[in-house]
Amino acid sequence: MTEPASREAANPSDEPANGAGDTPVPVEEMVLVKRALKGDLSAYDDLVRRYQERIYATIYHMTSNHEDANDLAQEAFIKAFQALRSFKGGSSFYTWVYRIAVNKTLNFLKQRKNKTHMSLDDLDFNAEHDPDLVALISDKTPRREAGLAELQEKLNAAMQKLSEPHRLVVTLHDVQGLSHEEIAKIMDCNAGTVRSRLFYARQQLQAYLSDYLQ
Amino acid sequence: MSQDTENFEQLRRLLKLKRYEQPPPRYFNDFSSQVIARVKRGERGDGYASVGRVLWEAPWLQRIWAAFEAKPILAGAFGLAVCATLITGVIYSERTDLQPVALIPGAEASISGPMDSPMEIANAMAENRTALINPAAGLEGSLSNSLSALPTDGPLFDLRADPASLTIPGRN
Repeated sequence: MTEPASREAANPSDEPANGAGDTPVPVEEMVLVKRALKGDLSAYDDLVRRYQERIYATIYHMTSNHEDANDLAQEAFIKAFQALRSFKGGSSFYTWVYRIAVNKTLNFLKQRKNKTHMSLDDLDFNAEHDPDLVALISDKTPRREAGLAELQEKLNAAMQKLSEPHRLVVTLHDVQGLSHEEIAKIMDCNAGTVRSRLFYARQQLQAYLSDYLQ
Repeated sequence: MSQDTENFEQLRRLLKLKRYEQPPPRYFNDFSSQVIARVKRGERGDGYASVGRVLWEAPWLQRIWAAFEAKPILAGAFGLAVCATLITGVIYSERTDLQPVALIPGAEASISGPMDSPMEIANAMAENRTALINPAAGLEGSLSNSLSALPTDGPLFDLRADPASLTIPGRN
């Protein structure tokens, strides 16, 4: 299993992540899509394997629930397969599937409304060695006795307090490293809206997590 | 502004924690095979495959479907409206199909229109009973003109049996 944490940590800023966006679809990817359209499920299996971790991660960060993320991620890929004929290649397959997954998750969250039930994934052991995170639980922080597990719970609870659009921009930009423009395409809005939502969401999170920030 | 930047920097560091959240070990080993298995079984991401394809090719349908997913009560109300329309159509078509032929003139009015109350039904039944008991009373007015057209110098029913003649072609 790869380490999405390190991959995402390498792209914390505005650079596009992993080929998403308006870049032309790699030839190999289109070949897989065409084969899948002809009924070659091994080709589609290949496509799923390429993007399963990122799609799962996005949905998980939005729901803070592993089981829901599992179901929604699978359903997103199934739905993408059923709608494969409508994929024209104008954007990357990843962006296209991403959009399906995001819309599906937003619809799910609307139905769930405020009935949040967190089922958090475990933290990778490398988190304990991340200097930024270690600094957060050092003697200088107001809640110095807080461990990483508590930080994780408080962070997820704070994320769940955000509205879905604000949670989504934080997930896509600050957690997964997508650019404002890519996020705008996924959310079907302009980059300015993305920036303003991001600013507001960060302010909200700061207020919720003030005890854990210097 | 620098305070905001600094505060956001702290928050950005905290948000890095999210990147270290991982699903159970070997979780992704089976993920794609589960997706493919569900695809083979014919499962859809939502709803039905043919409906899903239509939805993706008609954005306005997507919006309606999304509204139904977000608010199931809308879907219920829509279904109820469709059922009510169907039932109304069936009832209306049955009513127009029924063209009752009133053999007893007095009963025509009673059976042509809706009878809403038991009293009306009872009155109609009473009228029908009267007409059946004394058909002459009901027929008198309507048949008088017809009867006058008949020849009056003979019996009303002149039954004479004419021998049947059969002519078989080719045999004389």
